Amino acid sequence: MTPGLNHYLVVSGLLFSLGLLGVLGRRNLLIIYMGLELMLNAGNLALVSFSRFNGNLNGQVMVFFTITVAAAEVAVGLALIVALYRKRQTAHVEDLTTLKF
Amino acid sequence: MDYPGLIKLLAPECVVVLTALAVLFADVKFWRGLPNGRRFGRGVTLSTVGLMAAALFAEFGENSADVLMGTLVLTPVSQFLKLVLLLLTLATVWLCGDTDFTDHVGEFLALLLLAATGMMLLISTENLLMIFVSLELVSLSLYVITAFNKRSSRSAEAALKYFLFGGMAAGFTLFGFSLLYGLCGSIHLPDIALALNTKGSDPLARAAVVMVLAGFGFKIAAVPFHFWAPDAYEGAPAPAAAFIASGSKVASFFILTTLLQSGMPGAAGSGAWKAFVPGWMPIVAILATASMVFGNLAALAQSGLRRLLACSAIAHAGYALLAVLADPPDAKPALLYYVTTYAMTLVGMFGLVSVVERGHGDDSIGRLAGLSQRSPLLAACLSVFSLSLAGVPPLSGFFGKFYVFVALVKSGPSYSSHFWLALVAIAMSCVSLYYYLQVLKQVWVGEPLGDTRPAKVSAALTFVVAGLALGVVLLGCAPELLLAHFR
Repeated sequence: MTPGLNHYLVVSGLLFSLGLLGVLGRRNLLIIYMGLELMLNAGNLALVSFSRFNGNLNGQVMVFFTITVAAAEVAVGLALIVALYRKRQTAHVEDLTTLKF
Repeated sequence: MDYPGLIKLLAPECVVVLTALAVLFADVKFWRGLPNGRRFGRGVTLSTVGLMAAALFAEFGENSADVLMGTLVLTPVSQFLKLVLLLLTLATVWLCGDTDFTDHVGEFLALLLLAATGMMLLISTENLLMIFVSLELVSLSLYVITAFNKRSSRSAEAALKYFLFGGMAAGFTLFGFSLLYGLCGSIHLPDIALALNTKGSDPLARAAVVMVLAGFGFKIAAVPFHFWAPDAYEGAPAPAAAFIASGSKVASFFILTTLLQSGMPGAAGSGAWKAFVPGWMPIVAILATASMVFGNLAALAQSGLRRLLACSAIAHAGYALLAVLADPPDAKPALLYYVTTYAMTLVGMFGLVSVVERGHGDDSIGRLAGLSQRSPLLAACLSVFSLSLAGVPPLSGFFGKFYVFVALVKSGPSYSSHFWLALVAIAMSCVSLYYYLQVLKQVWVGEPLGDTRPAKVSAALTFVVAGLALGVVLLGCAPELLLAHFR
């Protein structure tokens, strides 16, 4: 059996859900970041497989750009963690409690 | 299309980017030894020159083009909106004039200008790739400037929360875009619209609509994606918060309407009373209702000025979303008039917040007591802004709401179909009057606490705040001045 479009979409859907679960469920900021990256990469996988099955290159070109954007996002995110760590000596979401509704 | 031609079309953006680099370079190379206040002064002057030049290019340059599958689409409306965004950026930059929250002056101004570039690119494209990349340019710059107040630990925390929610929104937007691309085989909005006319009720299209709306819901702070807003508004330095509340809102609303109305009319559905049809319209109607109700009720309980503005921002996102539901010819003028005047009001408000905070160290509403005696001009400006936000005629906030409601009621199969939304909106506007009047009560009736000397405010800040207040009054009395450009 050769894998078809549906197989790729199921995998990318699973990756997206895993990423979302990681973001919503985990307490450590670094793991939450990994979840965010997983969500973006699920989008990338879907784009590449759609690109293959649609028969045009738009999706693949878009992936190049989103990979770069994701890298920039990690850089900004890690810088923010460092800034927070210097002030609070923590990288856990439970400690983000100075600002409250 | 050759490179000189492209640069000519992108002249305003190019000028702003060059200004950002020039400010960065000049700060590192020449201004490092100066005190912060003077560095900010020089940086602001240089940025002003660059922004004015860009505004001239936007006003007198090319104003219609469609390059490379909608990657760059210039229309008279988008060029005028660029001018608006440049002026909002200018006002925000002037707010920095006499602050000293950071030692990294060049970086702060450069990031502000880069965010402005992202917003300008965002409103001149009809291509999913460009929308995603410029949206991220705006967001990443805004996350960083939110964290710029290194003396306060709240700033980093606010930025981190903003980043986490924003990153999740980016994931949703990208996945939604990938589904749209897969279904339609194109990343060009007019092609997507054609394909969706036949495939609008496909489950994949429904999933794409939900994902995209979730992503943009975060950007415009609509309930239930609003959690970052009060924290980001409270922790960010005043100019950064002003920019998040103004420019970023204007650009996001513009592109959201373009995306939904010109890209997905085939998946619209209907939000008419008792006649819901699945699609983006019922979802937008629900987001709008939830935002108006939650925003206004939550604002009643706030004691800090920044949090009050954040809750009212959520409510105003709800009103503005109503315009997205209107029929296409009326929707954009009403929406753009609304968000433009709202953005002006918010920049002015954050200017006043920074005055209050400098005087007292915190932003609670009680600190406004007796402002009318300490500085009658600023008190008058604050009253104009508050009443405009509440929607009192003849200020522009009233006409903004009026045009949105008229466009909304006129739309749909019959006059009654969207009437329920207008009713909710009007009822919630009445609620909002209460908390804006609470603020005004402190300003005009409250006795000054301790310090009764006139408030110390720099000329630049007074000029910006007074100018914006004048604009709010003027555009309220003569709405055509602005509306004519958006038609």
